[in-house]
Amino acid sequence: MNKSRSMQTPLAAARGLGSAKSGLHHWWNQRMTAVAMVPLVIWMVSLSILMTGAGYEDALVLVSHPANATVLILFVAVGFWHAMLGLQVILEDYVAAEGLRLILITLIRMFAVVLAALSILSILRVVL
Amino acid sequence: MAQFTLPTNSKVTSGNHYPAPEGATNTKTFQIYRWSPDDDANPRLDSFEVDLDDCGPMVLDALIKIKNEVDSSLTFRRSCREGICGSCSMNIDGGNTLACLKSIDDVKGEVAIYPLPHMPVVKDLVPDLTHAYAQLTSIEPWLKADTPAPEGRERKQSPDEREAVDGLWECVLCFSCTTSCPSYWWNGDKYLGPAVLLQAYRWIADSRDEYTGERLDALEDPFRLYRCHTIMNCAKTCPKGLNPGKAIGEIKKLMVQRQG
Amino acid sequence: MSSSRPLSPHLQVYKLPLPALMSITHRLTGVVLSSGTVLMAGFLIALASGPEAFAIAQICVSHPLGQIALFGYSLALFYHACNGIRHLFWDAVIGLSIPAVYKSGQVAIVMALCLTVALWSIIYFVV
Repeated sequence: MNKSRSMQTPLAAARGLGSAKSGLHHWWNQRMTAVAMVPLVIWMVSLSILMTGAGYEDALVLVSHPANATVLILFVAVGFWHAMLGLQVILEDYVAAEGLRLILITLIRMFAVVLAALSILSILRVVL
Repeated sequence: MAQFTLPTNSKVTSGNHYPAPEGATNTKTFQIYRWSPDDDANPRLDSFEVDLDDCGPMVLDALIKIKNEVDSSLTFRRSCREGICGSCSMNIDGGNTLACLKSIDDVKGEVAIYPLPHMPVVKDLVPDLTHAYAQLTSIEPWLKADTPAPEGRERKQSPDEREAVDGLWECVLCFSCTTSCPSYWWNGDKYLGPAVLLQAYRWIADSRDEYTGERLDALEDPFRLYRCHTIMNCAKTCPKGLNPGKAIGEIKKLMVQRQG
Repeated sequence: MSSSRPLSPHLQVYKLPLPALMSITHRLTGVVLSSGTVLMAGFLIALASGPEAFAIAQICVSHPLGQIALFGYSLALFYHACNGIRHLFWDAVIGLSIPAVYKSGQVAIVMALCLTVALWSIIYFVV
């Protein structure tokens, strides 16, 4: 029949553990990385047009140009950061179990950091 | 995991059909969600054919007519019948609104009537609003000031300062907005929702209140405030034409502002 | 003894308005872009690994399936970017009235489609 129901008052349940008094930083970082992504994406799309059908040597030349390499590195770093923040929000929305949510957020964050590191390393390898 | 499908005991089955009385020419069918704690059954959808020539113009008029003449067990909240008390909020034709302000003619085809979404159902169209009311209490919706009121007179406010609470004080707490919000559906246990956040802003925006900092502290939380993703179902559905999404935007702006 | 209260229907009955549909699409495109950027990282790694690895990467990209994937990625990118800018205006509390939300939504969709068509026209007809 009915599971044992909590006898807590509705107000106690609503108050919960109290406000975390934090949350602005995540929100702010997501907006800041979003703003940064606008020029980076414009540059990346232009670069992709130039890379279309490019051979290996041409691709190397394009990527090793200091401006392109810098933008690429920033695009990877800021892009993965922005993606990480967004995915965290999605997990917070849909995964109710706090332990599982924390594990998933941590796993995805590690995955993003590894991929970002690999990408940046690859770009540096081409440039240097 | 947020449940996108209804639990087994909540799935709606087909119900009874009540045809219009003999000789009725101008009829409309109302499909109404029914559930009683006294039956040991799933909720069902009953359909009632109503003679519009013998009925008031609003959906609430139809509900009252059905209750008076066809099925007296039909249960719903109602009081003022003029959109000021907030009692008759429900989901009509796929959107949340006050039944007394929703014109029957606005709905093409059959009128589907459900309780406010993603809420525990007490009976038929009556949702359990206990948690929503508790969330409202938790934001302390009253004037808080350390400065005593001047000699038993009113606390003064300029016309511009008074204007700052326009669009906020008019809320009738019907919770149409809160129950239209997908974030509240998935995280209503911790997310305060549009109605409560609008009221929180009402007291933050009131120039007479002296506890703005504490109010903002209480809201700065990844769940209480920041589950809002500007989906804007709230402003779209508000039967009083208010904009909770904008009020929440103002709160978020204040959060940034106070960081300097 | 009253049985456990049912939960009232939500997604099953709610008519989601355009802004809500655009919002969930923003989330979906975000997820698509996150996954796609993993492949982009793969492309960069292939470039750094030498001509043979790069040649394989180019073959994948030029393959019809690769082109379709790239098309989908670019559409997702432009939609997420245009709608993202709309979100940034909202964060500054600009354009949050219902008429403005609908109008800016239509603009964002049209811009995203135009940019996608423009990009692929350049790729196929100019380059």
